[in-house]
Amino acid sequence: MPLTLETLETSVLQGEPDWLQKRRRGALATYERLPMPSKTDEEWRRTDISRLNTAQFSELEHRNGFKLDALSSLPRGVILEPLRVAAEKHPQLVEPLLFSLIKADRDRFSALHAAFFTGGTFLYVPDGVEIVEPIVGQHISHGGGTALLPHTLIVAGRGARFHYLDEYIGRDDEPASYRSGSAEIFVGEGAEVGYVAVQKWGRNAWHFADQRARLEKDARLRLFNVTLGGRFSKTRVEASLVGQGSDAELKSIYFASGEQFFDFHTLQDHQVGNTRSDLLFKGALQDKARTVYAGLIRIEKGAARSDAYQANRNLVLSDHAKATSIPMLEIDNNDVRCTHGATVGPVDPQSMFYLQSRGIPAATAKRMIVQGFFGDVLDRIPFEHARNLIEADLEARLG
Amino acid sequence: MATVPKVDVGTDYKEKYGFSVPEDYIFKAKRGLNPEIVKEISWMKKEPEWMLNFRLKSLEIFRKKPMPNWGADLSVIDFENIFYYLKASDKQSTSWEDLPPDIKKTYDRLGVPEAERKFLAGVSAQYESEVVYHSLHEDLSKKGVIFTDTDSALRDHPELFKEYFGTVIPPADNKFSALNSAVWSGGSFIYVPKGVRVDIPLQAYFRINAENMGQFERTLIICDEGSFVHYIEGCTAPIYTTDSLHSAVVEIIVKKNARCRYTTIQNWSTNVFNLVTKRALAYGDATMEWVDGNLGSQITMKYPSVYLMEPGAKGDVLSVAFAGKGQHQDAGGKMIHVAPNTTSTITSKSISKGGGRTSYRGHIKMYPGANNSKSFVKCDALLLDDESRSDTYPYNDVDAENVTLGHEATVSKVSDEQLFYLMSRGITRSEAETMIVNGFIEPFTKELPLEYAVELNRLIQLEMEGSVG
Repeated sequence: MPLTLETLETSVLQGEPDWLQKRRRGALATYERLPMPSKTDEEWRRTDISRLNTAQFSELEHRNGFKLDALSSLPRGVILEPLRVAAEKHPQLVEPLLFSLIKADRDRFSALHAAFFTGGTFLYVPDGVEIVEPIVGQHISHGGGTALLPHTLIVAGRGARFHYLDEYIGRDDEPASYRSGSAEIFVGEGAEVGYVAVQKWGRNAWHFADQRARLEKDARLRLFNVTLGGRFSKTRVEASLVGQGSDAELKSIYFASGEQFFDFHTLQDHQVGNTRSDLLFKGALQDKARTVYAGLIRIEKGAARSDAYQANRNLVLSDHAKATSIPMLEIDNNDVRCTHGATVGPVDPQSMFYLQSRGIPAATAKRMIVQGFFGDVLDRIPFEHARNLIEADLEARLG
Repeated sequence: MATVPKVDVGTDYKEKYGFSVPEDYIFKAKRGLNPEIVKEISWMKKEPEWMLNFRLKSLEIFRKKPMPNWGADLSVIDFENIFYYLKASDKQSTSWEDLPPDIKKTYDRLGVPEAERKFLAGVSAQYESEVVYHSLHEDLSKKGVIFTDTDSALRDHPELFKEYFGTVIPPADNKFSALNSAVWSGGSFIYVPKGVRVDIPLQAYFRINAENMGQFERTLIICDEGSFVHYIEGCTAPIYTTDSLHSAVVEIIVKKNARCRYTTIQNWSTNVFNLVTKRALAYGDATMEWVDGNLGSQITMKYPSVYLMEPGAKGDVLSVAFAGKGQHQDAGGKMIHVAPNTTSTITSKSISKGGGRTSYRGHIKMYPGANNSKSFVKCDALLLDDESRSDTYPYNDVDAENVTLGHEATVSKVSDEQLFYLMSRGITRSEAETMIVNGFIEPFTKELPLEYAVELNRLIQLEMEGSVG
């Protein structure tokens, strides 16, 4: 059974409010209309999807939500529900925002996600409310051959403060599957949000994700992306700074091994002045892994006194791993400070020599160097729960 | 302290370079592009049949290739409204005195004969489609150096010509190399024999005079083993209300242990579309250096590249772009590492003012097998006002083992601290800004022969004059 209107009608739409049914049908039409991206599209030139057949994965998982690690008592006014439930109960909040940052017609995969998204969370934190403990959404895959398409929608009111973690979990040996894990994050005036996404799908998964935030005046976002799983993982991480004084920190670590392929596209979109963004993506590659990073800082005409930083660093641990790095700038205002940098390089032989001369075996020395490489960015994980989790995951991967 | 002459930018270009002389042509092909025009050009030049076939095939390729869907906006180019071939003189001179008076006057005003007397080993002057003047120091020709126009080379050195022509940039490389291959005319041909060093620069000066003119010169430089040459090109055109097109192809072969430096001071008037393909092949331990200055034109798209073919080859691009009102400089460089132990650097400095746009576009590619290679790219951009724009598009693809690649870029305005410091020493704001800009591009100017460095500093000073108060 392919991903068609019939699948949509029989296994998704039932019980959903009219507006959502309509929106899903629209997204499906977009999906059917849009061509598959090809190598002539700049964004896909280095990203090979010729072996992906979405029709294989038409069975949908998590149709009715997922495990949500909520605190027993949330502050008054906070809404934390499975997205489908929230769509029914709080349409006045969900309807205007859902897929307004991540547009269904961006490409075929965005459209597929918008038409068939299964489960996911809606989190609404009202003005002035602070949640100390992090909220954790776990998306656990139950087997291969399926599609699992969670979507997270986060709305932070004025001055709200909280941390949220999305964890995408699968068994390494699961058969091939289709996965996404998108998040739309609205950071209200003066709000402070920490958002962490850890992607640990099985090693045969195809993963497509859009993480996009919008920051109002004086809002602050600390976003941290970890990519470890999937045979193929394509993630777009984007922040639009639409209010003066807003500040987005976008950080990522990735570790690719075996024949994994990771693709990251990032955007720091400074629409107004006095805004700040700081991006650092650090990755280690081993075996025959390949990664592509392409990032853009865009400073719009009126966005004076903006400060933007963008860096991509790749540590290539094997002779057969390949990294591509494309850090781009489009600057339309002169009163700004923008710098970016990219590096691709092997483990420094002098560091290896130093450690080995102290009697440390080569394998351990390499591991220490990788840990050191990730060290400065791990310090930027916005909350402790996530930091412990990520350090443990990384430890396990380094073996 | 430097005194800044009170001249407006536009006015100065008009007086110094922007004049035109009446058209009085020996031969002017009809407007437009079709096999008949191509046949006519080839017939005028009395070319061998293989070249005619090469041209016709290239025209077909041009027709089939789509316009590039990236970079600057080229949709306004009307290929049917361009004169593809203009011949202004029926013979080539080796003495300035023998030139037709109008053409001689043009070059006198541009100061080319004077420059030749002072510091050049050889000069070539191209007027519209054909090279009208050519000279080379006698001692160099005795050593076997060939410096001639490309049409004469096809006639006089057919074997050398055929061995290399079109091998670095085939017609099908891109739409504009196909166009050039179909209608090319003029350009320089240089051969430097084994072990010969040409210590003083050779220069070519390209001049467009007519309106709606298309200039398609074709340059081929061969540096044989262990040789050295420095080639400089300059270009200007009058200011017309309608656009002209300049689309050159430059092919360079730098053999083992040789070194070639290619310097461009592009100062086309702001109605010229400048779409140029420049590429060099560098063999074992050879060095290729592109020094590329883009000041003029309406739109420039040009990315000098070096293919590092054998171990030890080195590539260098030093690029400066200045975009004023209505200009878009889409420039940069490409380094293609094919062999192991190769190194490359790209340094780009760009300045935008008065609503101008500069884009750095670069590509570092390390093919499988290009192991132990190194590449470093540095791009700095200076935005002089809040109407202007700067972009950076660096593409880095690494498929080789144990390589090191770095890219850094900054975009900034003239810093307030620097301005304050200079002004506190009694320097006016406009002088201070000019000094800062000159300092910013110093890595570029210091690579130029002195006469050019002085000229460039003066041009920058004039460009700056219009902007600050």
